[in-house]
Amino acid sequence: MKPTANLWQHRLRFDMRAALVICGLIALVPLFVTGPYALGIILVSVYFAILALAWNLLAGYTGQFSLAPAAFAMIGGYTTALLDFYWKVPLALGIPAAVVVAALFGLFLGKLVLNLSGPYLSLTTLAFAEIARVVIGNSHEFTRGDQGMHVATLMQSRVGYYYVFLAALVAVLVFLYWLLKGRLGRFMMAVRDDPVGAESRGIDVVRTKMIAFCVSCAICGLAGSLYGTFSQLVSPELGLLQQTGLVLSMVVIGGTSSLSGAILGAILVYLGSEWLRGFGDIQIIVFALLVILFARYVPGGLWGLIAARLQGRKP
Amino acid sequence: MSLLTIEGLLRRFGGVAAVDDVSFELREGEILGLIGPNGSGKTTVLNMLSGFLPPHAGKVLMRGEDITGLPPDRLAQRGVLRMFQMTRVFARMSAFDNLLAAGMARGLSEAESGKRAQALVEELTLEPVQYLDAGQLSGGQRKLLEFGMCFIEPPLVAMLDEPFAAVHPVMREVMAQFIRSRHAQGFTFLLVSHDMPIIVDLCQRAVCMNAGRVIAAGDIHSVLKNHDVIEAYLGESQQGEGEPPSLEVHR
Repeated sequence: MKPTANLWQHRLRFDMRAALVICGLIALVPLFVTGPYALGIILVSVYFAILALAWNLLAGYTGQFSLAPAAFAMIGGYTTALLDFYWKVPLALGIPAAVVVAALFGLFLGKLVLNLSGPYLSLTTLAFAEIARVVIGNSHEFTRGDQGMHVATLMQSRVGYYYVFLAALVAVLVFLYWLLKGRLGRFMMAVRDDPVGAESRGIDVVRTKMIAFCVSCAICGLAGSLYGTFSQLVSPELGLLQQTGLVLSMVVIGGTSSLSGAILGAILVYLGSEWLRGFGDIQIIVFALLVILFARYVPGGLWGLIAARLQGRKP
Repeated sequence: MSLLTIEGLLRRFGGVAAVDDVSFELREGEILGLIGPNGSGKTTVLNMLSGFLPPHAGKVLMRGEDITGLPPDRLAQRGVLRMFQMTRVFARMSAFDNLLAAGMARGLSEAESGKRAQALVEELTLEPVQYLDAGQLSGGQRKLLEFGMCFIEPPLVAMLDEPFAAVHPVMREVMAQFIRSRHAQGFTFLLVSHDMPIIVDLCQRAVCMNAGRVIAAGDIHSVLKNHDVIEAYLGESQQGEGEPPSLEVHR
């Protein structure tokens, strides 16, 4: 086989290298940005980058439009918080437990909806996300309701946390690269492009979707758990639909089906959303408009434009 | 020897029996033509044989083993492969990557899939477009790609639904040659087509359906001369006197 014949791996390698370069640039930020507020904003954008990668695995690579990434982050955050609050489980166990619990919730939900097609997954995950948020918000005796729960912290240093989030982002990136470059990655894209065709070639479509869904939920759980320990508080706000909207716009604007696109989109959209805060509560309106424009005119997102320029081809 | 035995297949849509008590056999190493006018139930039969529609009654046996109602991916793993009238390729993956994915879905390693994919793009004249996304290929090229995806790991039976419809004559010949060469190697085909010259050229036997039922089966030449078959295709008034009528078209 010629080295370029395997075009998917060639594209993925290029994408991965670019994603690592972006991570490298993010790693340099604390050298220039020392204010805790500004550093905190970039740290939160890294949190969103992890969520965007998780959602991109599902929507961009597998073609399954879940509307619950924020809800799974909330489930991850509450898992760590509840284990810490009631049973004093150390974070070294509480954080992995968040990953497992989010994946198990994903497995349960996936069993119910993943053999359906079309808009049913979106509608069911939307319903699940809202139910989960309302149940947590109303379970005052167990979760302290809208007041939220205190969570132990990993460290006091904001710069230290910054690198913890960055390390988590790189770990997720490397894991997704490994997943996508193999058999399963190709099966996911086959399912995205044509589920009937995939099935007729011998691909177990429901199993492939289930794996993508559980992995995506697990990554969201990890992000939510880390975020809870950073902010030392988890509340139902973590699972707001508005947060999911932000994740969605990050991926569409950055570039679907791309690792670097998701990270780039997350950083730019979150920084943009902080900047727009000064103009009132208009972020969602602006990003919704941008999503429509990108989906219509720049389907490859910003990364699609950049990659085309770097590779000297038409976008 | 029979590879597939179809016994009394029935499939209803609402109150209409689209396929009603259909039985025939597909022998090892033959190219069997499944013909019939539009709406006769050919594609519904193919959908049931490939696992996309469960039959309401009847059985499908493969070398004596009941495979009725198995899902499409399990059937594909067992070597029952299908091509669609409207091609089913992975539009955002390159043509070559489509072949790789199809090979890996059948259990081949990436290296082995790559080796076979390389040979197939050459045989199917897809070399110039192998790095294009499959969504950018012409209809004919997509059909050729589907041939490659079916044959990257030899199937027990390849079921082809109107493979020659709306395809450029040059590509049609590439397809026909591909089928001939694989048939010469002993592969089995079930070929659904309206293209009588190509059916006559490729098939040894045929089954003709009309209104969901089998109206004739047997040697291709005798099926095409069958009174019921001619009536189904042309209508009774079209049959003239003198020479015995036939749907066979001499090339």
